[in-house]
Amino acid sequence: MEIEVTQEKLAKALNNVSRIAVGKVTLPILNNVLIRVNNKKVSLTTTNLDMAIVDFLPVSNSKDGVITVPAKLLAEFISNLPKGEKITISEKDHKITISAGKYKSVINGSPADDFPELPELSEKNAVVFKLGVEEFKNGISSVAIASSNDLTRPALTGIYFNTYDKTLAIAATDGYRLAEKKLIKNVQSEIAVIVPATTLQEVLRSLSDEMEEVEISFNDDLVRFRLGEVEIISKLIDASYPDYRRLIPKDNDIKVEVSRDELLRVTKLAALFARTVNGAIMCETKKPNIFSVKSLASELGENDSTIETKVEKEGKIRLSARFLTDALNALDSKDIEIEFTTRLTPMVLRNKKKDDYTHIIMPLNS
Amino acid sequence: MYNVWENVLAEIEQKISPANFSTWFQDTSLLSNEDGDITIGVKNSFYVKQLRAKYLTIITDALTKNGITVKNINFEVKSNIKPKIRPREISTGLNQKPSNIKSIKKSSTENNNGLNEKYTLDNFVIGSNNDVAVAAAKSIIKAPGTRCNPFFLYGGPGLGKTHLVQAIGNELLKNNPNYKILYTPVSRFFSDFIDAIQSGKGKDFNRKFEKLDCLIIDDFQQIMNKEKSQEEFFNIFNNLYQLNKQIIVTSDRLPNQIKTVDERLASRLTWAGAFDLGLPKFEDKCAILRAKAEFMGAEIEPEAIEYIAENVNTNIRDLEGELSTILLMSEVRGLTPWELIQNGAANINKSSKLRPTSSKQVIEKVAKFYNLTTKEMCGKSRVSHIKTARQVAMFILSKELSMSTTKIATEVGVKDHTTVMHGIRKIESDLKLNFALRDQI
Repeated sequence: MEIEVTQEKLAKALNNVSRIAVGKVTLPILNNVLIRVNNKKVSLTTTNLDMAIVDFLPVSNSKDGVITVPAKLLAEFISNLPKGEKITISEKDHKITISAGKYKSVINGSPADDFPELPELSEKNAVVFKLGVEEFKNGISSVAIASSNDLTRPALTGIYFNTYDKTLAIAATDGYRLAEKKLIKNVQSEIAVIVPATTLQEVLRSLSDEMEEVEISFNDDLVRFRLGEVEIISKLIDASYPDYRRLIPKDNDIKVEVSRDELLRVTKLAALFARTVNGAIMCETKKPNIFSVKSLASELGENDSTIETKVEKEGKIRLSARFLTDALNALDSKDIEIEFTTRLTPMVLRNKKKDDYTHIIMPLNS
Repeated sequence: MYNVWENVLAEIEQKISPANFSTWFQDTSLLSNEDGDITIGVKNSFYVKQLRAKYLTIITDALTKNGITVKNINFEVKSNIKPKIRPREISTGLNQKPSNIKSIKKSSTENNNGLNEKYTLDNFVIGSNNDVAVAAAKSIIKAPGTRCNPFFLYGGPGLGKTHLVQAIGNELLKNNPNYKILYTPVSRFFSDFIDAIQSGKGKDFNRKFEKLDCLIIDDFQQIMNKEKSQEEFFNIFNNLYQLNKQIIVTSDRLPNQIKTVDERLASRLTWAGAFDLGLPKFEDKCAILRAKAEFMGAEIEPEAIEYIAENVNTNIRDLEGELSTILLMSEVRGLTPWELIQNGAANINKSSKLRPTSSKQVIEKVAKFYNLTTKEMCGKSRVSHIKTARQVAMFILSKELSMSTTKIATEVGVKDHTTVMHGIRKIESDLKLNFALRDQI
């Protein structure tokens, strides 16, 4: 096996795939990256048995062959080489020799036979969606904050991809808040699957500026993301997702419109005084035009900020400052709409005049 | 059948490296074997590919060695490793006579699950005091482990908690004889737990519960002050809950009113709501008595039933106790129950009977109960326990003797009727929360 490639391209690909090649003590080969050259096509592959990343590497010259080497070591070595250097990697007797100008090193590898075979997604019965990188990135990051990391409830550690009313929506909840984003309108296929949030984080990390489109394919128990040269395959979470749309309140009667930046600022101010009470702050509407955010810490002092806006009904709700900040960061329009009631129903936040993103926060008991 | 898989795994373990074995074969299971069509359950599709590509021959060899003919091996992703299809007992034919040994065995297994067959849903009398709880119980029987899980049932002593939960257990068992149920009062739970720890078998203890489909814990309030048992129970609870197994807990009060119960546990117990069994109303009591008399095969006049129902006001157990005493006496003396009552021969147990009392008596009683003199209690002291005693007295006077608040004020020696009204309301709201107080009253 032999390849010739520029330092930048190789370093980028290795850094991308080596992230998941860590930590399996039981099977050391999972720390390795599989380098395969087959008919001018060079691929770098790593897996942690929950997901796999494959990066197809554009090379100037190559000879067929296959080998695995410790991924972290190779990645660090390559990224410390000077930029613009032309690198040649060749394999002999399960060892690879890396030469780049004056730099040269030999890394012990192990035969590719031990490297796990990766599952393949059958193209025939796969459900495929395509969307722009920006929409994908914004969509995933705006709901991922609401996903849980409580492993005792596996379903909630994922992001739920589901279709209804011809729309592909993604949703996440940790039981205290919920975020839903309508990702693609007018879809024909129907799915309802849970993608692990960790996989999606890796997908987001693998995105780079030159990519334009993300292709997502679902199978019975696999999902594949194709982004430019990178392919990520992951298991799906085998659990049933709660019927989350029932949790979104429909008849909240207190509605206000506020500036997102302004509310973010006053929430952060209030959060400073809410540390001793687990970040609990009070939002209150007063006729005719006051929306106020208050917090109180008996030993520190208190905070009371107001925003002017049209108020038709008075009421108040107590919630976590951190959840509110997260929600506001996930919203993206200048003005946002807030709905709540005085009862113990969740607060709903949306972008003004746009219904594609919904974030709800459970109130705290007072 | 599932032991076979253990053997197969042992076989495979010797052939491949420990690292490969623990990575690829841990969490596998044999899901089914239908005439050589074998289905193996694995963690996720990454495993399917690898097992199929690299280990298919090894698996086939190992299976063949263990006497299983292999035609075809399928892999199925099964994230919770539990096998999908449970081994079913082959039902014995109808014409077969059950031998003695079998019946002994049978009864001993039934003793193992702690259920008493006497308690069924058929002989549970449904009334306005318990209809919600019964509806919930029925939904559990229909689909255990889904809607009302955990099922938390609470109510005073003798109101039928044990009956209802045992009935659930019995019905579940009737629908599916292979269902693994354990009924245990909490006291037995922790004595077993202590035994297990002493003999160093703490893990076995845990395992015993993990295999259950339904766990019924009775008299949960007794877990008070037993932190280690609580912790253990918490673990078992979580494990079972994750596997969607039905958990049923009864207690005489809500979990957050049981002292020293961990908040995490308390909130989990009432996840699916708490159902209460209340005191039966007059009509309910009559229905219970009638059903009970019928069950005992005795005849009793409606008048007698009404008399007992009217005079027993504590709980259902007392009600039934009273009925059986009267029935027994009537049998001995050769009189019908109603004649017996009219003759005054049957005295309703005093504690369970309400007697009209004078306000003075009440005040004295309450004062005595709280170790106070009447004077102290009716004085002006605002020390909290004296105040409570005074409020309790006011409460009893108002509820039991239906005295006016103004009159109570003069009796108890407080300023005016508003103080009394406050006192009564206070006790009323406390009663809802404070079961110790309820017992006292």
